[in-house]
Order: sequence, then C-alpha cells, then structure tokens
Amino acid sequence: MTAAAAARVTPPERHDLLSWITTTDNKRVGILYMGTTLLFMAVAGLLAMAIRTQLARPGATILEPHAYNQIFTLHGTAMIFLVIAPFALGLANYLIPLQVGAPDMAFPRLNATSYWMFLFGGLIVFAGAATNEGAASAGWTSYTPLSEITISTGLGQDFWIVGLAMVSVASIMAAINFVTTAFIHRAPGMTMWRLPIFTWEMIATSLLIFMAFPSLTATLLLLFVDRHLGGHVFDPAFGGSPILYQHLFWFFGHPEVYVLILPYFGVVSEVISTFSGRPLFGYTGMVLAAFAIAGLSMGVWAHHMFTTGAVNNPFFAFVSFLIAVPTGIKFFNWICTMWGGSIRYTTAMLYAVGFLMNFLLGGVTGVMVASPPLDFQAQDSYFVVAHFHYTIGGGSFFALFAALYYWWPKVYGWRLGERLGKAGFWLTFAGFNVTFMPMFFMGAFGMPRRVYTYAAGGALPLLNVIATAGAFMLLLGGILFVVNVVVSARRHEPAGDNPWHGYTLEWATTSPPPEHNFHALPPIRSARPLFDVEQAQQAKAT
Amino acid sequence: MHGQTWPAIGSDQSAALADDWRIFTYGALAVAVLVWTLILVAAVRFRQSPRNPAPRSQKDANPPLEIAWTIAPLLLVIALFVVTYRIEAAVEARASAPQVRVAVNGYRWGWTFAYANGPTLDGTSAKPPEMVLPLGQTVALQVSSSDVVHSFWIPDMLFKRDAVPGRTSEFDLTPSKLGTFLGRCGEFCGLNHALMTFSVRVVSPADYQRWLRYEATQ
Repeated sequence: MTAAAAARVTPPERHDLLSWITTTDNKRVGILYMGTTLLFMAVAGLLAMAIRTQLARPGATILEPHAYNQIFTLHGTAMIFLVIAPFALGLANYLIPLQVGAPDMAFPRLNATSYWMFLFGGLIVFAGAATNEGAASAGWTSYTPLSEITISTGLGQDFWIVGLAMVSVASIMAAINFVTTAFIHRAPGMTMWRLPIFTWEMIATSLLIFMAFPSLTATLLLLFVDRHLGGHVFDPAFGGSPILYQHLFWFFGHPEVYVLILPYFGVVSEVISTFSGRPLFGYTGMVLAAFAIAGLSMGVWAHHMFTTGAVNNPFFAFVSFLIAVPTGIKFFNWICTMWGGSIRYTTAMLYAVGFLMNFLLGGVTGVMVASPPLDFQAQDSYFVVAHFHYTIGGGSFFALFAALYYWWPKVYGWRLGERLGKAGFWLTFAGFNVTFMPMFFMGAFGMPRRVYTYAAGGALPLLNVIATAGAFMLLLGGILFVVNVVVSARRHEPAGDNPWHGYTLEWATTSPPPEHNFHALPPIRSARPLFDVEQAQQAKAT
Repeated sequence: MHGQTWPAIGSDQSAALADDWRIFTYGALAVAVLVWTLILVAAVRFRQSPRNPAPRSQKDANPPLEIAWTIAPLLLVIALFVVTYRIEAAVEARASAPQVRVAVNGYRWGWTFAYANGPTLDGTSAKPPEMVLPLGQTVALQVSSSDVVHSFWIPDMLFKRDAVPGRTSEFDLTPSKLGTFLGRCGEFCGLNHALMTFSVRVVSPADYQRWLRYEATQ
C-alpha cells in the first residue's frame, strides 16, 4: 500500500467541537461520559457542602426547609444517577474495547446516543431548579404519596421524572453495548476466562441494569401517569398502594447499589494487581462472586421496607446476610493479591487501599442494618446515611479516584502529579472518615435523615460540627485534585504506553490509543498477555 | 433524655432490641478489626523496599483456602440469622389482651392519638402532643396516616413503625421505665418533617388512671 493510499484509509483525527458532538469513538464517548460526571460531581459536592453548613449548628437558618429539601434531593439524585453509576459507564466505554482487543464498541452509534440521552437527562433533572417551585424535593426515592401532584405540585418533580427516565434508558443502551462487545468482539485468543476482571465486573453490572432499570423506567412512568393522567396507581383512596411504589422502586433500587459498586470492585482489583506486581488472586472466585452478588441483589429489595410491617422481614434479612459471603470472598482475594507482592504506593494504589479500609466498614454495617430488629432504629436515621456513604462514598468514590489516577496517563498520554495526588488522598481519606464516622452515632442516638435542623442538647451538636469540619476537608481534597489536573497538564510529563507496568491489553497500545485502538495486538494466551510477552523476552535474553 | 445513654431501654421490647444492637455491633467490629488487620499487614509488610524489590510469588489460587473463606462467613451469617430471627419474633410478639389500645394517626405535620375508651389527643409541630402510658402494661398501637408516609419512632425505645396511608400497622409496646421520651417522625414527609415530634410520658398505673379521669373531665 502506498503512503497516499494509507492516508485515505485512516483520515487524520479531528479535535474540533463538531468532531466531539458527532463522535462514535468508544474512547471519546467514554471521555465525554466521565468528564460530564465529574462536572455533575462538583455540583453535587457543593450541594453537600450546603447541607453540612446548615447542619453545623442546631437551629441554623442558613437554608429554609424548602431549599434544604431540594438540595438533599438533588445531591442524592445526582451522586447516584449522574455521577457514580455513569462514571463507571464512561470508564467501561473507554476500557472494554481496549481490554478485549476490539477496535470499537459493538454499536458505536447506540453508544453515542446513550451519552447524549444521559447528558440531557441529567441537565433536565437540574433544570427543575429553574421552575416556579424549584427542583424536585421529595428525596431521591420520591415515595408516593409525597411525590404525587396533590402534595408535590411543582414542575420540578416532573423534570426529575423525565430526566431520570432518560438516564435509565441511556444506561440500558450502554449495558447492551458492553455485553455485546465483551461477548462477540473479543480478539483472537481472548477467551471469556481470560477477560480482565474489570470487563467481567461490567458484564455482571450490565446484567443487573437489564433486570433492574426497566423497573425504574416503569415506576417513573406510572408516577407520571398518576400525576397527570389520573392514574391512581399509588393512591390508596382509589385502591392504589404506596407500598406498591416502594416495592417497584426498590426492586430497581437495591440492584442499583450494586450497579454503583461492582464496576469499582473491578477497578480496585485491577489497581491492586498491577501495583502489587501479582496476578489477581482467585480470579475465578472473583468472577463467580460478582455474579453471586448480582444474583442475590435481585432478592433483597424489601430490606428497605422492614419498618413498613408489610413484608416478610426474615426472608429479606437472610438473603441480605448472604451477600456478605461473596463480598467476603472479594476482600480475602484482594488481601491475597497484595500478599507476597512488592507493592508500589502510587496515588492510585493509596486510593485502592483506602477503598478497602472504608468499604469494609460499609460492608459490616450493611450486615447490621440487614437485621430487622436493629433496622427498626437505624432505618431512615443517620446510621443508614453513614452506612451508605461508607459504601458509595468511601467505596465507589475512592475507587473512582483510583481509576482516574490509574488510567489518566492512558487517556491523555501524560501523568497526574503524584505529590499533589498523595496529599489529596490523605486529606480525602481523613476528611471522609471525620465526616461520616460521627453519623453512625447520630443515627443510633435518634437523628433522622433528611432533616434541615435538630434540637440543641445531647451529643448531636458536637457530632454534627465534627462532620461539617470533615466535609470542608473533603472540599479541600476536591480542590487539590482540580489543582493537580491543571498543574500536571502544564507540566505534561509523558507517560509512555505502559507507565505502571500493567499486564492487561489496554497497556499494549499507545497513550492515547489510536482511533481504532490498536496498531497490532500481542498474542493472548492468558489473562495477562503483557506478562507473557515480558517472560518470553526475559527467556530470550538469558 | 435523648442520646445521653445508649442503647437506652424504655420498654420490654427494647431490651431485646438492645441485645440485637450489641450482638451485631460487637460482631461487626470483630470482623472489621480482623480484616483491617489483615489488610494493613499485607499493605505494610509487602510494600516495595530494598529488601522487597520484586514480587516473591506469582501464585494466584489456593482452592482449600478459598473454600474455607467461603464456608466460614456462610456459617457466621447463618448464626446471625438465627439470632435476628429469634429477637424479631420476641419484639413482634403480640399480647392477646393488651391493657391499653391507642390508634396513632400521622399527618402533615402532627399526630393524633386516639385511646380506645379514652381521650383523643392531637398536636402539630407547633405544639407537639404527649402520649401518656402506664408503666408495665401492654399497649397495642395501631399506626396509620391520612396523607403521606410517616413513621412513628421513639428513639429511646429503639423502635419505629411506618404510618402508611390506606393501611393500619399494629405492634405492642410495654413501657419499662418512668419518664418522658421524645418521639418523632422517621420518614421524610416534606417541609416540617424535622419538627414533627411528640412525646411519650410513662407514669405509674395509678397515675395513668388519674390522668384518664382528668382527661374525661376536659
């Protein structure tokens, strides 16, 4: 082929605005997804700062109740639907084709559609704040009858419904792409049992999305019908049922929390394996545990309803307890991956170990609240707030930062600074625990969640002011990350193709990878193709 | 009175609930400390250093060990389930002939307490109502709501039950300690959710009878 012919086959890459809007390249869609979620994260984080500022002192009047209710509703909705879950979708967009050795996603245009629906869905949820009565204010769970039009009269609730329905459909589109790509676009030699663990975790996540998100879409639709078309589906005056809403919502809502964590189990597994210089311990067990968690999580939804007196508490308690078993398997495998290794403490690895420390507390307190007698106190108290922040915040959020530091050089070709990165980690780790540890005690002592104020006296004022101080440490940690990005971008320290000595396929291509992902693939004979290449080279040298 | 001692025990049922808290808290802490230790030992002992420049092994499976750490937690959660099942059964046991029956209705933003063959008390967040109960007698509470979902929660009795419109939910409460206990709404219900409180005053049976006679004259 002549040089002129080659130039025709691969046109030069364009980087103007139009090329970003029209792109179907899995990597660019991934960058758009992740970039958007980081912006949403900044907004949702600032909303949390408003919450903590209001709660620093008892009886504070910085926020009036209606503003407070909108703020915590948007904070929860954004963090769950617009930050933690879609960041994982963006990362999977970027990584799955690279990890399986494919030139793009199975359905590139569906992939781009997914991103744009997600973006506009998210913007619509926030746009509710510009309506007459403000944004949705019924909590991220939006229980009926509170969210019915008789009580929540504002348009903000409708914006919330429509926006989330779009995000829900977008997630299903993304999941279709992930599963199809991982199943049928694998490179020669990349058998299922050689797939990198992150791709496996995304397959499990995608199956959960298939099972759970249709229930969310249907619930949102029914709520809309109730509000505007006289549906009375959830209206007890017409034989409808608020309990039915809770069943439908949590049938989505509990699998959703595993959609929020399984991808990050994958991230942490990759990071720990690379920086320990060892293969992932118990690979088969890790994959099976992911599917066990996914399967069990479909049968635990009513543990959110222990205090209704309307569900079979022992059944849902038992299935919830069982999830501790596959989760325990994962912990022991992570520890054994480090065991016997030579651990390099990069920022990514620090965040991964931080994940282990925090998520463990989220896990054991999860077993606590799965016990109905204990939950009779903990339900809807700050104990539950502490518990799920230790899983989604101390867990997923820390793994999200591990992912940023770990894959950033692959995406941009330059590294994030390690010194600022490590300082940011320690600040975030300390800030996180100072913020959320006191909340276990607040909840056990009887402070309900979703309250804009509390009475003076007792231990609550002290616990709350400590939590607020921690929140400001977290804010500082966030600012430090932004500073690090700016400083590192200026310094532009070249990363090379494989800066961390990783062994999975994404490290076999250039940084950033070409539009079609790979110029050439190494032979794939195990789950760590680059390890095999390295061994072969060493054997040849000796 | 609120959040000073913990777990506070204001009723017979909450003695069992406090046992559940203790068993699960100590159990959770024991597991957490064990696993935290393993993580930290691995993280510190195997850090890269001149003495540990390269990974010592590439071993990536150990089936007997993996089976062990699957079975052991399974046995542990089965044991926890037995504990939790028994305690819940004790807490939710119903007396055949409760001495007092009160119908509780939650609304935005207040409570109505209707005593069977007795007074009906009502109060909103501006002036929260007070439920008076006799020490040591079994009280059957029927909880419902006339608008959105609320939850009848007495933190110092470690118990709440949702007040759901369109359905009535019942449970027994046997006060075991004299005094006034703060109660509040436990399920987010809109603007004044934070202020939707009530109190429960536990008095001697004789004082309770006097209170009933006084209320009858009102």
